[in-house]
Amino acid sequence: MNKKQLMLAALSATLAGSLAACSGKDSADGRDGGAAGDKTKIVYWTGDRHDSEFIKEKVDDFNRTNTDGIEVELVVKGDDFDQALDMSFQTSEAPDVIRVKENTIQTFYKKGYLAPIDDYLSDELRAKFPQMDALNSFDGKRYSLPNYGTTMRLIYNKELFQKAGIANPPTTLAELVSDAKKITAVGKANGEYGFAQNFKSPGSALGRSARVIAEISGFGGFGYDFKAARYDFTPFKPIIEAFKQMRDDGSMLPGVESLDIDPLRAQFAEGKIGMYLSFSAEAGVYQSQFPAKIEWAAAPAPSIDGNVKGASGFLGGQWLAISSQSAHKDAAWTFMSYMYGDPILQQYQEKGFGISMVPSVSEVAAKPEVYGIDGFLPNAHDGVWPVYPAVPVQGAKSDDVFFKYILDGGDLDALIADLNKRYTTALDAAIASGDVVAEPDADFDPAKLAGQYAS
Amino acid sequence: MRKTKELAFSYGFLMPSLALTLVLGIYPIAWAMRYMFYDYKGYGKQTFIGLDNFARVMRDGEFWHAVSNTFVYAGGKLALSIPFALLLAVVLNRGLRGRQILRAVFFLPTIVSTAVMAVVFFAIFNAYNGVLNQFLLKYKLIGGAVDWLGADHAMMTVVLVSVWGAVGNYMLLFIAGLQNIPADVYESASLDGANKLQQFRYVTVPMLGPVMQMIVMLAIINALKGYESIMVLTDGGPIGKTNVMFLYVYKLFFPTAGTGAASQIQEIGYGSAVAFVTAIIVGLITLLYYFGSKRMNRYA
Repeated sequence: MNKKQLMLAALSATLAGSLAACSGKDSADGRDGGAAGDKTKIVYWTGDRHDSEFIKEKVDDFNRTNTDGIEVELVVKGDDFDQALDMSFQTSEAPDVIRVKENTIQTFYKKGYLAPIDDYLSDELRAKFPQMDALNSFDGKRYSLPNYGTTMRLIYNKELFQKAGIANPPTTLAELVSDAKKITAVGKANGEYGFAQNFKSPGSALGRSARVIAEISGFGGFGYDFKAARYDFTPFKPIIEAFKQMRDDGSMLPGVESLDIDPLRAQFAEGKIGMYLSFSAEAGVYQSQFPAKIEWAAAPAPSIDGNVKGASGFLGGQWLAISSQSAHKDAAWTFMSYMYGDPILQQYQEKGFGISMVPSVSEVAAKPEVYGIDGFLPNAHDGVWPVYPAVPVQGAKSDDVFFKYILDGGDLDALIADLNKRYTTALDAAIASGDVVAEPDADFDPAKLAGQYAS
Repeated sequence: MRKTKELAFSYGFLMPSLALTLVLGIYPIAWAMRYMFYDYKGYGKQTFIGLDNFARVMRDGEFWHAVSNTFVYAGGKLALSIPFALLLAVVLNRGLRGRQILRAVFFLPTIVSTAVMAVVFFAIFNAYNGVLNQFLLKYKLIGGAVDWLGADHAMMTVVLVSVWGAVGNYMLLFIAGLQNIPADVYESASLDGANKLQQFRYVTVPMLGPVMQMIVMLAIINALKGYESIMVLTDGGPIGKTNVMFLYVYKLFFPTAGTGAASQIQEIGYGSAVAFVTAIIVGLITLLYYFGSKRMNRYA
């Protein structure tokens, strides 16, 4: 081979390599992670870490016992799950089975990431797994099935409550503010504070606190009024004012402005935080991730004024879905069927990873074996809210505006009026473009959402 | 004929990197530029809206706030990291015992992952049990816990963290530059009676000019583009106090925070327009610096 030939060969190899890396996959057999030997290899992506050991064990069992020649590769992603999934679809390297959540399934569906599973569903499965519009079904087709749901609660340190002479967890915003102040007054010298939220991400903080207070009080947790089909953040005014009051009182943990959820949990487990609001996954967190050194419990979130006029959000309705790009949809469904089998769903609840949303499983599954879970079990006030129309608003998001008010103050009425205007403008634009459908529902009664899953 | 062969040979060697640049560099830019004129959320319709995205950029207060934060961040980072890196380079370029180890120690932050760095610095700076507050309180240097990552101090903190991450890199580049200065120039200066400070002022600095021009230009670009350490440490907060241009762009393409479905909406069209404007800003500043710093090149 002379110099010229050598150079051409090197050049061709480089070009071929770079182009191959960027090209799409047209044939099922050509895909990475395709047939491995005589096995059909499928890839399952999840962003859940709280159940990862359990899921890994079940995937290993499936790989060992299934007689269909299917091998599942479990990939547990971190906080970059959504971005990684976007990239995987853009590079045609998408997983076959995808963990979908309440706040992602709509987007994934709209992006065309999900394959309908109707053809795989027998009448028995259709009856067993509730169909929930916009939570697992879109335009009459099913894309996922429910497994477990997540409740939202006020999580409190019983020892600090006792120390501060507080008998019961707060049921109103006024009590929340006053209890936080009392706990701080008696505990500050020891670094104990009444309240905290993970305000490093205002969206995450208010999405697990202000949201549930609004919902249990009868208002959409993201500012959407289902009756009028309009955005109206006015009901958030007393909630945000209460949060600001706690901040101004010095009742919030120092550094709450930049606090992420895990450092918050670490401090709660150490007994430094009196209360915060979050999801039922916290029970598992204090069992394994941050073993709590204190007596703690979960109670229903307080409402604005003590009157429960709505439902405390019970989130879920979806779990696994099949990728639209999967070249092995049948194998993916075989694996999904295994994961949705009664033994796994039952164990999922009993081990405390989540509270079953499948009626036939709820009937037979024992109470989860996790400290503190009792307070998280669905009660007469929990319910599934309809899905609000998500719109891209121009300018600051509601969570950022509210957090800025909590820190810096200002004219809250004017801020809310501006939010209402901007969100409604975005909603109207989204309706006009056909991106969302939003129709008034004069009969909408948030109180009627509650109670369906009471245990 | 020989010239043609040489040209073919040269272009042949250029082709692999040219191909990679086209595929991995130019194509994504062209891809993004196309969407600047569209309303596109990553799914559904792609609606051509002309220059509307740019009009929105002009009235987007959050973006311009991020631009202003970027200047503060970049200014602070450059003002601290360049002189400190030069000082370290001068010291570690001498016949100091253990200088190789010290160079490695100072360079180490450059190769530490951002995630590790975030954990370490959170442990140092957090308000309630951070190492820094505990130290300062112990020696009564502060009256009460300071929220180093709070609204009042977060920018200063992220600047310090970025300086920590950058100094080692620039130090090595400066050392490479220093080693190219001939020893006999220092000898002549010494014979002429110049002391160490004068040698530094009248020999080192001018002769390091071309290298320094390049290092500062790289530093400016890196500082204006930097966002990773900010993302993990404060995520641009509190209330946007540390939000910088590239983090703002990143969040438009990859929204993450929040529990609602709205928090997942990508703004690919608008994000592309903002990315283009940020690129123009970075490009203009770099050009201004380049032409403004030509004097530094006079000893090249």
